[in-house]
Amino acid sequence: MIEVKSLHHTFTIGKKGKEKKVDVLKGIHFNVQQGEIVSIVGKSGSGKSTLLQVMAGFLAPDAGSIIVNGVETAHFNEKQSAAFRLENFGFIFQNFQLLPGQNVVENIELPLKLKGVSSAVRKKKVQELLKKVGLTEVADHYPNELSGGQQQRVSIARAMITEPPIILADEPTGSLDMQTEQEILLLMQQLNIEHNLTFVIITHDEEVASIADRTLRMSDGVLVEDK
Amino acid sequence: MLFKDQLQFVLQHMRKNKLRVTTTVLAAMIGCAFLIVLASVGFGIQETMRDEILNQEQVTEIDLWGDESLSPEDEKWISEVEHVNVVLNKADISNPITSTFEDRTGHSQGVILDMDAQSKLPSNLSAGRLPQAPNEIVVGYHYAQSLLNEADQAEIERKSKEAEANGTWYNGEEEGYKGEILGKQVKLEITMDEEGTQSETATFTVVGILKKPSYDWYTDSSIIFGQDLLEQFPKLVTYPSTKIYVDSLENVMPVLSELKEQGYQVYSVVEQLEEMDLFFLIFKIGLVFIGTIAVLIASIGIFNTMTMAVTERTREIGVLKAIGASPALIQRLFLMESAFIGLLGTGLAILLSYAISFGANAILPHVLAYALSDESLTKTDFTFSLIPLNLVLIAGGISLLVAILSGWRPARKATKIEVINALRQEL
Repeated sequence: MIEVKSLHHTFTIGKKGKEKKVDVLKGIHFNVQQGEIVSIVGKSGSGKSTLLQVMAGFLAPDAGSIIVNGVETAHFNEKQSAAFRLENFGFIFQNFQLLPGQNVVENIELPLKLKGVSSAVRKKKVQELLKKVGLTEVADHYPNELSGGQQQRVSIARAMITEPPIILADEPTGSLDMQTEQEILLLMQQLNIEHNLTFVIITHDEEVASIADRTLRMSDGVLVEDK
Repeated sequence: MLFKDQLQFVLQHMRKNKLRVTTTVLAAMIGCAFLIVLASVGFGIQETMRDEILNQEQVTEIDLWGDESLSPEDEKWISEVEHVNVVLNKADISNPITSTFEDRTGHSQGVILDMDAQSKLPSNLSAGRLPQAPNEIVVGYHYAQSLLNEADQAEIERKSKEAEANGTWYNGEEEGYKGEILGKQVKLEITMDEEGTQSETATFTVVGILKKPSYDWYTDSSIIFGQDLLEQFPKLVTYPSTKIYVDSLENVMPVLSELKEQGYQVYSVVEQLEEMDLFFLIFKIGLVFIGTIAVLIASIGIFNTMTMAVTERTREIGVLKAIGASPALIQRLFLMESAFIGLLGTGLAILLSYAISFGANAILPHVLAYALSDESLTKTDFTFSLIPLNLVLIAGGISLLVAILSGWRPARKATKIEVINALRQEL
């Protein structure tokens, strides 16, 4: 499903003339199979978030290859990358990243709108998902009227609405309390089983890593463990 | 993304920032309305002057000047020029003619016309017919009014003095012969030479009366003779001239240039119109240019609003890009917003300009009349401001284009936002 080969990424920091190069990813190799939950763990600064951003196409790698569903994405331009994300990835972020001016339904259907799906089809799909994530009663609420757990459920529903094969999650429970964290992890596990969804989860939380089929540990820009 | 959804997205944002969007729309409206109203003054004055010229004389008439009367060969050549309908020979009698009728006398300018040619033109008579025999004449509309007896003269003198004391003048319309002059015989004393030493007297029958002149202030007491007057009085000194009548207005200029090429001294009021139109074209371009400056100032408002919108929505743009919105879509959404502001501003500006234009045309004559203490100004048919469709299209086009252009940079800026940096922003 996902094949990452000798992936390199370098950040340039400092003022012009005094630039300094920092190697963040130093030749990463790994594969993810369909239906797998893979967690990537590591300390802050280990390069795990950068790895996800490069995989998502938010950053272009300096070298290496990323093959998703048989398509090489490492050299995509911005437009190709956006179109590819819309078809293949769903995103779950630590701080939910919902649009504050749009209600729950509008936030969830946003990816479908971007794909040009008609409002009748959108409505049907959103209703189904609302039931699945347990948000039917707050469908017309705005993000600031929801709890953290509810917001993350909206975010998960938004990630799944286009039925992408892969969900990329960056610290999905980082802003939640213990109990809510458990609920969200349960939901993700349930979706993984029901829809055979592939999850790549970035986290520093061992609890999250416990639901994963495999855990990759990163340290200083390299993978040090795969179990 | 469906167009309907894009539109809904843009409108949702505009509603969220009602105050800012409204003030920007107002600025765009004022800029565009200023442009339209300013240029409309140029259009209004031009229209008034055009009407003035077109009412003044027959617009299909060409004057031909020369020291001598037109030779038969010249006349034949001119009458064969394409689009020339009639060549009318005319001669002005040098000295005023004194008319005597009953106990009344009057003074008139005399004109000799080629009645065959005149009969081919549309009738210029309000009553009667053209002369067919010697000693038949046509008189001006005010001819009867110009025939005064002693009592009338004293009365006019008195009324004139009274009017003068009030700062106006009196045209003598209440005096003169009030009966029917058509069919009556009048005795005319015609001066033969320029010095006025020799004169002849003869009796003529009035067979026709000319139409009322188009201007209220003009009193026409002229006398029109047939060409047989020259046979009757061969020594009569006259100033010949020729008028050429063309079939329609648009053919006046081609005929005019053909005659000029042949060396004839010709003049038409249409030439004046063309010169005037050129002058007004430059004048109007100048006004549109000044008005565009106002639109440009308004565009700074649009630029600021859109820049603010992009800055405020950086995180939102980041989310949209992250979940798969193309840079082109992001740019389009912001351009639509600035175009929408421009469209609203322009639409309102057009309504406002028409209101100002109608208001100005209705109120300004009264204001002027009051300021200049001249009541007659309220009745004048003066157009101060005129908004033709092409002005609306030009001004609307400029205003919309400027609105879209001022949204261009902010929209480009929005597409350049990096997802990672945008997502890091706090709400």
